Amino acid sequence: MKLATFFRVTLPCALALGGIVLAGHQALDAADHFDPPARTGSDTNTVGFDVAADIADLYAFHDANNVYLSIGFGGPSATNLPGFYDPDVLYMINVSNAGSRTDVEFPIEIRFGRDGANPGIEVRNLPGASLVRGPVERNLTTPNGITVRAGLFDDPFNFDPQGLRDSRATGNLSFNSARNRFANLNTTFVVISIPRRLLDQGQPLDIWSTSARIRS
Amino acid sequence: MAMTRASLTLAPALAMTAALAACGSNEPQTNTIVVPPVAVAPAPTPTPPPPTSFDVGPCLNQIVVPGRTVANLVVPDLVRLDLNQPAGFPNGRRFEDPVVDVTLAVIFLDLSRHPATTFAALPVNPNRFDQPLTGTFPFLAAPLGAPPTSGGAGTNFTFRSDLPSAYTRVDRAGMPAVATELVSGNPAKNSYNDDTPAIDATGKWVPELSNILTILTNALADDFGRLGLSICARPN
Repeated sequence: MKLATFFRVTLPCALALGGIVLAGHQALDAADHFDPPARTGSDTNTVGFDVAADIADLYAFHDANNVYLSIGFGGPSATNLPGFYDPDVLYMINVSNAGSRTDVEFPIEIRFGRDGANPGIEVRNLPGASLVRGPVERNLTTPNGITVRAGLFDDPFNFDPQGLRDSRATGNLSFNSARNRFANLNTTFVVISIPRRLLDQGQPLDIWSTSARIRS
Repeated sequence: MAMTRASLTLAPALAMTAALAACGSNEPQTNTIVVPPVAVAPAPTPTPPPPTSFDVGPCLNQIVVPGRTVANLVVPDLVRLDLNQPAGFPNGRRFEDPVVDVTLAVIFLDLSRHPATTFAALPVNPNRFDQPLTGTFPFLAAPLGAPPTSGGAGTNFTFRSDLPSAYTRVDRAGMPAVATELVSGNPAKNSYNDDTPAIDATGKWVPELSNILTILTNALADDFGRLGLSICARPN
């Protein structure tokens, strides 16, 4: 059996069996989309759940000049829907660049607000004590070289949870690497560009993110 | 397998012999059938069944990139970005990185024999983008369709000023696929998402992560073996 055939057929079945062992309470959903499902909803049902606060993915990369941090949330969503700019949700990207990996030097806070019907974004605790405020869907810059942009984008994540779910439910092999649950859908992102000199303290960066909803 | 085939070949002859012996006759004294001795092959040594229970400790301890083991990657649940190394999962995460396939490889395969890109090279999961990523900030492709936008309008925004302590945690995300793949259902999932990397570092979630990885490994090990893929887990 060719390896590719194995992964189209055998591995999905095996994963499905593994899923059965997990008693259906753990879908191999995605990087972080639809998790935790009791709060954010699942791959098949998000009605009544906190979709806006569902972190999809956290990204961190760099080039010669900048470090780029990004958080996606509220997706994937249909292409006729606007971005999620919920004023009652606080997103945080926590960055450690010194000392212990688990302490947080920069607890970057991201909030959305309104000017009438127009959504805006506010980002606090950026390196250099920068504060950014302004409209979404536009590059916002600070005097020390940080750039922030919030907006709706084509979701770049790829995965086929349908195949896994069908295999688990029926025992029939249906995993398909050409079937992408996230294809042709959008997700809301905040992307932040930070000059390396503001973060690089000679040790690796450790990054994690959270979402939280205001208590009513 | 050869011994099994020999046993099957011999079985009809033995059955016929037994049947003949059982036929008998109403005249046993004159029609007695004398069955000559039959040379019977020695009983085959049964092939030991493949192991079904594994220790995933070697998986957690194998080195993914210099200085980092699988355990280091997932506990505490952080994305680590070394600015002195090229960007790309598991050194940070770019928009285009096939994180699920790489994660599957590093938790299941013996990385001394198979690269972490083994699954991504096939791929196991889809790996096509709707649109190419852009080469400049913000790097992501424009939204598909015609979603409503504000066009960057507005100047006098109002934001909540509540402290973070006024909010209730919904979700946390660090290393991709850890919370979704290696933490089981509620209440564990909610609890995991309510914790912090500092709590992870105490080892609180190591039993859960190891247990789920063990369950998955026990289910998949024979499939990997049939395909000549060496797994990192060892039989118990």
